[in-house]
Amino acid sequence: MNYIIIGASAAGISAIESIRTVDKNGKITIISDENYSIYSRCVLSYYLAGIVSEDKLKYREDDFYKKYNVNAILGKKVVSVLPDKKIKLSDGSEIPFDKLLIATGSRSKMENITGIEKEGVFGLRNIDDAKRIDLRLIKTKSAVMLGGGLIGLRAAYALHKRAVNVTVVVKSKHVLSQMMDEEGASFVQKRMQEQGINILTGLAAKEIIGDKEVKSVILENGNKIDCEIVVIGKGVQPNIELVKNTNIKTDWGIVVNEFLQTTVPDIYSAGDVAQSSDLITGESTINALWPNAIAQGKVAGLNMAGKNVKYSGSIGMNSVEFFDLPTISYGITKPKGEGFEILIKKNSVKNIYKKIILKNNKLVGFVLVSDVNQSGVYGSLIEKKIDVSSIKNNLLDNNFNFAKILPLISENRKNFTEPEYDEILITNK
Amino acid sequence: MKKVYCEVSKCVGCKSCEIACAVEHSKSKTLFIAISEEPMPVHRRNVQSINKLIISDACHHCQEAPCVSACMSGAMYKDKDGSTQHDEEKCVGCWMCIMACPFGTISRRKKLAIKCDLCKDNVKGPMCVISCPTKALSLKDVQRGEL
Repeated sequence: MNYIIIGASAAGISAIESIRTVDKNGKITIISDENYSIYSRCVLSYYLAGIVSEDKLKYREDDFYKKYNVNAILGKKVVSVLPDKKIKLSDGSEIPFDKLLIATGSRSKMENITGIEKEGVFGLRNIDDAKRIDLRLIKTKSAVMLGGGLIGLRAAYALHKRAVNVTVVVKSKHVLSQMMDEEGASFVQKRMQEQGINILTGLAAKEIIGDKEVKSVILENGNKIDCEIVVIGKGVQPNIELVKNTNIKTDWGIVVNEFLQTTVPDIYSAGDVAQSSDLITGESTINALWPNAIAQGKVAGLNMAGKNVKYSGSIGMNSVEFFDLPTISYGITKPKGEGFEILIKKNSVKNIYKKIILKNNKLVGFVLVSDVNQSGVYGSLIEKKIDVSSIKNNLLDNNFNFAKILPLISENRKNFTEPEYDEILITNK
Repeated sequence: MKKVYCEVSKCVGCKSCEIACAVEHSKSKTLFIAISEEPMPVHRRNVQSINKLIISDACHHCQEAPCVSACMSGAMYKDKDGSTQHDEEKCVGCWMCIMACPFGTISRRKKLAIKCDLCKDNVKGPMCVISCPTKALSLKDVQRGEL
């Protein structure tokens, strides 16, 4: 079997590992336009903050490709997928495949703002972005983040750690508006403001001004913020250009079925570029984040190698900590429409906030601030779609933990299929 | 692979395992000194209860470990012996593992994720098992099917 994997981040690497559990000898070629060792883009903001060294960006050993017997073509871009089971590289060469995985990920969405081409305007997506921002810090006093999502806030936190005056310009009413409700986000926003990060909400940038280099950002309200760096954190856009002019169906990303197959036989897609169904809402969407990419790469790899494994769906979830305040959001955090039940517990003094969203007595989402340690227990109840009526009143208790769901596990054995649950119940007699 | 099992009917909730675990993972490895260490050593095993059921729970060293899949820095990994281990050098404290662990067995100490390592550096084996006065805890082979 001749496998080609396009993209060497979470989904691509995960696919290699899973293909090799089934097919030890097949030929695997991975192609990436980045000429680096395997690195984690999620750790980039920690690198920019000076918390970890470049070496720590690596999440797999340097000899990974050798160990997995993979031919790595690095520093070359795949420009198109050709009809007769071939792909075309930027240097014009063509490579045939039996099974193809498109794991090209996404890129920073660059907004249509006047002046965006100026020196000093960056995304924060690739190691090169982080290095270029880092190089510019020497002449930087102030920076403006456009966007109050995860990228914008992570970049803000990193630059603040590097002693830059940071302003975050957020179009929404509050930060993290995609992943969290207003009240939960207010804890994060307040903490960042207390630590000296300037956050302006309900505002957008009108223009980036300067000659060749960025000098300032003009806001909608006419205010001007002087800065040497602008980071665009306006979300990401899937890299789907290579499948233009093919029969591979695209929407926002590359559309895949529950086996992570595209609409063309033998071509699969996984990670931030792949549009699959959401486990909770059932909608076709992209939940662009690490654990989903790893899980999808795994399933796609197994199926490419001849197995028949279904992907249960991606989950919109996120975990982040700024200035010692951890927050985790999961599933539906801002319910719209009928039939939702919301449980809330909060303590503004201790910065504790817990919000649980239920529908038909099943958990569909939660937001936790500070006290996050039991997140995964809630998460499992969501993923397994368990009726929690019997423990509803205890969900927000301070001592909520795994033991509290033991009765639910006994009642719903068919949902808890992992062997680890058997190991608990065996000892339960 | 082996892991620590808890026989629920024998667990009386004395928390000896919690203390033994914290002491084993302290710098000094003695209770008297460990309690004044900064940061305080954290136990990776937790005694929990519901109604009259008491269980001492810690990392299950899952066959398909969600924490390993979720870890974006490569800190969480499956060791050759099948156990789930954590390289604290690589941890950045993003808590993706906490978000993923269905048993809630990972906790935080400052910027590090903390979990049961089966006392891999101690030839005596898991100290929770040794400390358990009712023999509720035991180190036993795991019987799991093929993936």
